[in-house]
Amino acid sequence: MNARFLRRVLMLLATILLVHAAAFFLMRTTRGGPFDEARALDPQVKLALEQRYGLDDSLAVQYWHALTGLWQGDFGPSLRYREVSVADLLADALPVSFAVGGGALLWGLLFGIPLGMIAAGARRRLLGQSATTLATVLLALPNFVLAGAAIALFSFTLGWLPPAGTGGLAHLFLPSLCLGLPLAAQISLLVRDAASERWQSAGVRHARALGLSGQRLWWAHILKPSLTPVLAFLGPATAAVLTGSLVIERIFALPGLGTFFVEAALNRDYTLALGVTVVYTALLGLATFLADVLLMKLDPRVEALS
Amino acid sequence: MSLWAKRLAWGFLAALTIAAVVAPWLPIVDYRAMDADARLLPPGSEGHLLGTDAQGRDLLARLLFGARISLLVGAVGTLVAMLIGLPYGAVAGLRGGRIDRFLMRLADALESVPMVVMVLFLLSILREYRVEMEVIGFGRLQLFLVAIGFLFWLPTARVARAESLRISRLPFVTAARLQGMSTRAQLRRHILPNLWPTLRVMWLLTIPRVILMEAFLSFLGLGVEAPAVSWGGLASDGLAAMNPLVASWWLLALPSAALVLTLLALQQVGRGEDGST
Repeated sequence: MNARFLRRVLMLLATILLVHAAAFFLMRTTRGGPFDEARALDPQVKLALEQRYGLDDSLAVQYWHALTGLWQGDFGPSLRYREVSVADLLADALPVSFAVGGGALLWGLLFGIPLGMIAAGARRRLLGQSATTLATVLLALPNFVLAGAAIALFSFTLGWLPPAGTGGLAHLFLPSLCLGLPLAAQISLLVRDAASERWQSAGVRHARALGLSGQRLWWAHILKPSLTPVLAFLGPATAAVLTGSLVIERIFALPGLGTFFVEAALNRDYTLALGVTVVYTALLGLATFLADVLLMKLDPRVEALS
Repeated sequence: MSLWAKRLAWGFLAALTIAAVVAPWLPIVDYRAMDADARLLPPGSEGHLLGTDAQGRDLLARLLFGARISLLVGAVGTLVAMLIGLPYGAVAGLRGGRIDRFLMRLADALESVPMVVMVLFLLSILREYRVEMEVIGFGRLQLFLVAIGFLFWLPTARVARAESLRISRLPFVTAARLQGMSTRAQLRRHILPNLWPTLRVMWLLTIPRVILMEAFLSFLGLGVEAPAVSWGGLASDGLAAMNPLVASWWLLALPSAALVLTLLALQQVGRGEDGST
């Protein structure tokens, strides 16, 4: 376990370094730079700017700076947002993204698990079948469609919730919900399949033959083992949240990581784009890592198999 | 029930595809034509069955031409992904050993890069080289197709590897190998033809994901460029036009509906094909 653990941590660090290096060299060696605008800058001004940000050094020197900066958590100054450091921008944006993304995962679990259990428990009845249908339909709804419908209904028609911006929990409600519902659909299908399988398993049949029924059967013998696939889904779910947050943050005008990232990549804001890339890769890697460790703790067979 | 839903889904997709293909010859208004006198008409207006947008462009025509882009990207983008993933996975599975380990390690590494990072880098770099690409006949759309293919080849490669590993251990392939058949000939004669059924399923399952990705990118303004339209871009415009004062709901609702119905239909069509329910 410990050796495996250590290997995973090392792999995660190696991945971050590799992605960092790949992103760095891809951005620097391709044409176009942060100071290319529609109106060309005076060459001297451009040179002065490049000197100021150290962009006139050789690539190796620049990479060395980026690498030492990465170690210290310092990504340098943003090239577009003048006079602001990337670390500060990230520190401002991360809480927003965390709140929305974490909220989305929470919604996903909160709706997904009961929906899946209903679909499995009542699969021969209309209730269970409608639960499955609901999940299938939700699965085909892109985030922005959900968001548009939610804003039209809750903000414009009913006037219950703010349509955009920040400032408290009410502002996070709709974004996290729209980001979380597609996750709930996927989680519910995972739970449904796992629970249906458990229902037909020898263990549950035996428990029922011994007279076990009702709550104890469902909670201890069906629900609990059915949550393993949900845990394994944590990695893909994080990836989905990262992708979806780009759209959701734009629609709800939230100053999160996604908003900065799209702008940074298009404006060739090297330092900011690199910073967000590293944060995203680390987040995804950590989520996958966490899921694996928890899975191994819960189900020793996973460790034995791998 | 299931069979009925599947037939309905096939019918819908077939009708949509035909409509998209013949759209340029249909007696509809030009989808780019603006009309200052016919701005923001609701559906059911005279001459504009599904209404118009803020520039007075006919929404029905825009949806039909959007379908062309969305379906094309879905079908061709997936094909590109298969063309990359299939040989990659097949070689890994058939050769095994060190080559297999190396190829799969590389795939693991690529998989740990968040897709958004990959997408944004790919598109922002392709943007810079647009002029050169156009010289060799690569417009924005073709670039986009390649980028999409590049994003989605990994699952295909994994499936192709697992399948070719299984097939290469079947007795008839072992016999061929023992008789001295070269790897390349094995690949061509035995592995690839037997991968076909699996691939058909993979193709069906990947198309909706690709269409969704295209809509997502067009929504962010990174997809196809005006005057071309796609459903994601239309929905994005619709959302931007939405405010509490002007109730132009159809600009968001109709493109969204087109997208969701198509995704649902594709989901139905792919359902059960992979052995699940």
